[in-house]
Amino acid sequence: MIRARRFERAKDGQLVVRLHPEEVALLRRLADELQELLDKRGAADGPAEGDNEGDEAVLSRLFPRAYLDPTEEQAEQEWQRFSSPDLVALRVAALRNLVDSLPATERRDGRVEGKLDEEHEAAWVGVLNDARLAIGTRLGVTEDDDYTARGPDDPSYLAWQVYAWLTDLQADLIDVLLGGLPRAGTDS
Amino acid sequence: MRAEITTTVPDTVEELIGDFEVEGDIPWIVIVWNDPVNLMNYVVYVFQKLFGYSREKATRLMYQVHNEGKAVVVAGTREKCEVDVARLHAHGLWATMQHDR
Repeated sequence: MIRARRFERAKDGQLVVRLHPEEVALLRRLADELQELLDKRGAADGPAEGDNEGDEAVLSRLFPRAYLDPTEEQAEQEWQRFSSPDLVALRVAALRNLVDSLPATERRDGRVEGKLDEEHEAAWVGVLNDARLAIGTRLGVTEDDDYTARGPDDPSYLAWQVYAWLTDLQADLIDVLLGGLPRAGTDS
Repeated sequence: MRAEITTTVPDTVEELIGDFEVEGDIPWIVIVWNDPVNLMNYVVYVFQKLFGYSREKATRLMYQVHNEGKAVVVAGTREKCEVDVARLHAHGLWATMQHDR
């Protein structure tokens, strides 16, 4: 069966997105959850202070260190001080842009459609990846995980389903975006 | 490499160190580490978008990260690398920087 395209580049350059209403609702919920997580990061002065270990692990993954070398601790602290507020603000803005551009125009096939400008497009790229990083970190995903093998009796079954769906959605989006990038670069 | 010779005495230590770093060998590198979540085509996309690399170079670097666990994706001054690490983190890639030695 050929699945209907979810992302398509329109002639005017904007990206058309078509999703089922349930998918839109799920994206909205994931955005809310990421916002709650970022609020914890934004409120924390210095190291992330999550409510639980899962939050801390996710925040460490979304906001890693720049320097691994412990003798560069001072440079690390300075780098965190300068870049952390920007990195949080970028992610918060991306969440807002994604929610603002969630498709809403009803189609005859039961899906809803929307158009993304360049800023919205970047927001979708960022939020889909952040959501996968968050869920993947909580689930402890490994490269060899076969999430299709997990049954409904698995306590993390729903989270794995969401992760698989996000992976599929992101792969679709990136396929379209990569198709629009030139193959040549500035590296000669 | 600076083209003109200046006789101006640097005002601050930072200025002196800054000149030294520009004139020396490129001392810092940015490393991207493998992680089990980021998709291969996403990593290629980020390398192309952030650094203007060709599809070929971006793909080669992505496979190096995937197969060898890490790859040096860009090099330059400390300041440039700090900016590039932040850009990579903004895109969810696990990147760190260190002296090139």
